[in-house]
Amino acid sequence: MELFRALAIAAEPPQHETMRLLALLGVDGVITRADYTDLFVLQLPPYASVYLGAEGMLGGEARDRIAGFWRALGETAPTEPDHLAVILAVYAHLAEQDDAARGPRARAAAHRARSAFLWEHMVSWLPAYLTKVRDIASRPYAAWACLLQTALLREARTLGPPTGLPLHLRSAPPMPAAGDDLRELLASLLIPVQSGLIFTRADLRRASQTHGIGLRAGERLFTLTQLVLGHPEVLPWLEREANAWRVRHERMDPVLAPITAHWASRATAAARAVTAFRHALR
Amino acid sequence: MTLDELTKRLSAARKAVEARGETFYPGPSRIHLASFPPQERWDDWVELDSRSWPERTERRYMLVPTTCFNCESACGLLAYVDRDTQQVRKFEGNPEHPGSRGRNCAKGPATINQVTDPDRILYPLKRAGARGEGKWIQVTWDEVLDDLADRIRTALQEQRHNEIMYHVGRPGEDGFTERILAAWGVDGHNSHTNVCSSGARAGYQYWMGFDRPSPDHANAEVILLVSAHLETGHYFNPHAQRIIEARQRGARVIVFDTRLSNTATHADFWVASYPGSEPAILLAVANHLIQNDLYNREFVRQWWNWREYMEVEHGDTAPTFANFERTLKDVYQSFTFEFAAEEAGIDARTIAAIADVVATAGTRLSTHNWRSAAAGNEGGWQVSRTLFLLNALLGAVATPGGTYPNAWNKFVPKPIYTPPHPPRWNELTWPVEFPLAMNELSFLLPHFLRDGRGRVDVYFTRVYNPVWTNPDGFSWIEVLTDEALVGLHVALTPTWNETAYFADYVLPMGHSAERHDLHSYETHDAQWIGFRQPVLRAMRNRAGDTVEDTRQVNPGEVWEENEFWIELSWRIDPLGTLGIRQYVESKEHPDTKLGVDEYYAYAFEHSVPGLPERAAAEGLTALEFMRKYGAFEVHQTIGPIYAQEVPRDDLQDIGEDRFGRIYTRAPRAPSPNIVPQPSPEPDAEGRRPIGVRVDGEILRGFPTPSGRLEFYSSTLAAWGWGDRAIPWYLRSHVHPENLADGQMPLISTFRLPVHIHTRSANAKWLDEIAHTNPLWMHPIDANRIGVETGELVRVETEIGYFVVKAWVTEGIKPGVVACSHHMGRWKITDVGQRQLMTTAALAQQGSRWRLARKRGVEPYSSGDPDTRRIWWTDAGVHQNMTFAVHPDPVSGQHCWHQAVRVRRADLGDGYGDISVDTERARAVYREWLRKTRSAYEHSPDHTRRPFWLLRPLKPPKEFFQLPEPVGGGSS
Repeated sequence: MELFRALAIAAEPPQHETMRLLALLGVDGVITRADYTDLFVLQLPPYASVYLGAEGMLGGEARDRIAGFWRALGETAPTEPDHLAVILAVYAHLAEQDDAARGPRARAAAHRARSAFLWEHMVSWLPAYLTKVRDIASRPYAAWACLLQTALLREARTLGPPTGLPLHLRSAPPMPAAGDDLRELLASLLIPVQSGLIFTRADLRRASQTHGIGLRAGERLFTLTQLVLGHPEVLPWLEREANAWRVRHERMDPVLAPITAHWASRATAAARAVTAFRHALR
Repeated sequence: MTLDELTKRLSAARKAVEARGETFYPGPSRIHLASFPPQERWDDWVELDSRSWPERTERRYMLVPTTCFNCESACGLLAYVDRDTQQVRKFEGNPEHPGSRGRNCAKGPATINQVTDPDRILYPLKRAGARGEGKWIQVTWDEVLDDLADRIRTALQEQRHNEIMYHVGRPGEDGFTERILAAWGVDGHNSHTNVCSSGARAGYQYWMGFDRPSPDHANAEVILLVSAHLETGHYFNPHAQRIIEARQRGARVIVFDTRLSNTATHADFWVASYPGSEPAILLAVANHLIQNDLYNREFVRQWWNWREYMEVEHGDTAPTFANFERTLKDVYQSFTFEFAAEEAGIDARTIAAIADVVATAGTRLSTHNWRSAAAGNEGGWQVSRTLFLLNALLGAVATPGGTYPNAWNKFVPKPIYTPPHPPRWNELTWPVEFPLAMNELSFLLPHFLRDGRGRVDVYFTRVYNPVWTNPDGFSWIEVLTDEALVGLHVALTPTWNETAYFADYVLPMGHSAERHDLHSYETHDAQWIGFRQPVLRAMRNRAGDTVEDTRQVNPGEVWEENEFWIELSWRIDPLGTLGIRQYVESKEHPDTKLGVDEYYAYAFEHSVPGLPERAAAEGLTALEFMRKYGAFEVHQTIGPIYAQEVPRDDLQDIGEDRFGRIYTRAPRAPSPNIVPQPSPEPDAEGRRPIGVRVDGEILRGFPTPSGRLEFYSSTLAAWGWGDRAIPWYLRSHVHPENLADGQMPLISTFRLPVHIHTRSANAKWLDEIAHTNPLWMHPIDANRIGVETGELVRVETEIGYFVVKAWVTEGIKPGVVACSHHMGRWKITDVGQRQLMTTAALAQQGSRWRLARKRGVEPYSSGDPDTRRIWWTDAGVHQNMTFAVHPDPVSGQHCWHQAVRVRRADLGDGYGDISVDTERARAVYREWLRKTRSAYEHSPDHTRRPFWLLRPLKPPKEFFQLPEPVGGGSS
């Protein structure tokens, strides 16, 4: 499981040795601190709780669920148990324990822990997340995301399907019922586990450029609200975005089916909610 | 390439790197949880130079460990020494240090400010004018050493040993200088402890023999702190990080603090108790456990000296455990939640809730009191005594998550020489009025000298500043400027301080990275040693150079103390006729002086189990290992030593008293760990105490007279304090019933999180963060007085007043005010530290003194461009000068809390004004002296002090005999 440990390096601020390690993985090019900041600080924070939490924010129950996994193993959770680097390192550790376990009971327990962690805390969000990374990141990071996605798929295939839908996804709040509360609608679109969409600042910039309109600086919800309030034509664009995400989820490898089906259904619901709101507006 | 091929390639690369002894994955990183440069690269570590940004300029460093010299924790530091310039560029944490584990508070990295401080003292100075006039000339070390050696030698030859005194602040080392004094035969050790921790120590010592707690916070379920341990407590950083770990696990934290300290903000329960009421609350919690049978009955039965208590105090009742339990219920039944609530001014339901939480802790209750309430109140030693009562009730003693005696978590390696303790008794530090004092009555020295109890011919202040730190600073000035009372004052200090102005010699000593020290502290259940070292010397050693004298690598002529004391001792007794030289002589090269390399190499090779082997595994000597890593963990888990069985070989011709104390004739086995231990008395036939019988087994027990935990202190009872022999609540001198109309308590004992007493004013980063000390005042009080935040108030004490700014805040209990003592540094001439010292005018008229601020802090030109950027003018107000001495009659601790009146400042008052009448200070001193119970009247055996109690230098037993009374010695 050397591979996951090495892949984890890329989710950390780059240092002298980062490129050496990535080169060993066949990832060429140079990663700068600016690349790292843009990708992981400004666009796609590498924390599971942002993509699995009911608020779409750092921490909260989603992080606690991951910390709970540590506790269940009798370990003290680190400060940021949902950081991608930690998650990958933990998985490498669990996989090594699985491979090294002796005796049927120990092997079964280690295998169960590995499989549960993979499906509950990795596959539940990483396919969508890595897809987005590939979309917007610089070449080395895109290559890293591609490699990690491939490795994940192989693990999923090797370990077999999950016993059920991950708790993170089962606990995801539904899209709000059709109504006239624009703020509620837009807020839900920015919560990945609820809407099936991952909307970054780069996407908002793209929306403003597409429509030739200025962007109000602020948090994402404020910016998106201002866009829609001043320019209702952004609403159909949002619908198209939601549908595009649905297609992406549906086209993912079938081995991920139970997970991607959830994400696709949420993207469908998001598109419908935007449509309903647009119709209500008329 | 397939995933498998990639994995193979990675594994091969990693193995190749690790085969070279290097680390494959880079740090800092979450991947392998290493946030530090890997050790194998400490010789040549590359970082980008931040000042060259945006250029990428690489700088190469050698990382050399040392320990912090600011607070007593001695956390590990890594000095980043630039390989090109051979200068220290920065300090970060040392991950190899078992106590601090690579983490530091603000004071650690700020060591670089202290090293590069443009105002530091770089050369030995001798006063040119009168003492305190502020005129100095540079002199050579040789001149200083010869002068001191002549003077000390003469005093020793004339049998005036007691005229030599060494007054130390926090020592930051384990016994080096005490052994130097012992070598001189001088009982002249004078610590700062009685203005600091004596109160807490006394409470602990009466329970378990040892005078400090070692709480295992990391494994606790409930953490009860009577102090602000998360931000400023003793061993603050090592403890704080473990408290945080426990909290992350779900442990609950209870904090007693009249102020809303940073620690209180992180607590599950903040108990804003009225100052001095803490024991009442703790006894109410204890009473809850007792009345509801929620305590650990088996532990109490086995380990408390209840049988002795019953026999002595309840002789009419059969001394059975059942009767004791009934007595316990009777004795404490008055400590109800309602009683405590009334005393503390808090809701009884809060106390009940705390009691419920404590009751759930089981043996995982960690408690800690240091300074704080124990240092504030008359009878403050009962704070720690009643706090530890909770541990003793729950059996949370030396258990995971409980509280240990400090000495079990401390390792002091036996050094190359251990001279016998001095054959004499110094009345100036251990007066007969205070036979039970935990430490020297240091802060009473000016009064004792003025009483005519003696004089001091050579007085060393060592990184200590009594004029500023101690109460009644003007009395100190009066004495220090009187050459008839203090013949020669030598200030050993890295930087200017208020006391050094009144010295004859000011001698520059090294900071953290410029000196050797060896230490071990009870940060958790383990034993470790930390090694402070001059990092440039260590760097040169690593590069193959030899450095004989640390002055060769230190800035200017800054020296380290070890070499200074060795050299001074040698010059006092160059021929060895006084018996001193033998203790500073090389064993490897007889007739030559001992060097620090030999001194430490001996201790590391001979007295630290496992260290030579560990070093050898890396191809190093033990000294090289310590120079490389800076710390070594001797033992990881100690556990309950008291419950260990005494080995059969230690039981020879044993005796047993009626309470099960076991004595033996077997000689004490030599131990490489010479951590100070109490010494309970032998039995009548001369056998030494070895253990205690518990349910038929002979176990080690505790080093108390009874061998058990002493719920009942026969020592207190025998020495005139029978009314205070069990954990009890004593109403403080600031209890409402002791206050006059209009008076309220002033809490003056709290630290500011980034500063450390007198030691950190020369750290510009810390000064910028914290540089003032307003008076905390509740809005109710502010409205009554008619002041708002920022307005001046006059705070009137028993002997004078100070003028300070008000800070109106709900973060303090109504009816109480508070002011941190960490500020108010001043200088009377332009000489001094300019970043956090105002310039003040000092005026005296008879016994009336005034200190008035002339100029605040201001920017200035120096080699450090940052001194031009100083934007603050404030440096706070010096309040301690306006406090009279308040020696606790039992522990000897100065009781810091003040009864004050606060009012709007007068029109003519200026910020920082201080006014004091030292004659009034004398009167208060006499009032408090009347509270004492002299050994002359209360000693049970005509000795000065119970022999078994700890004493830093402990004369042989015959010198404990009381002398015939002389004038001024008896109360």
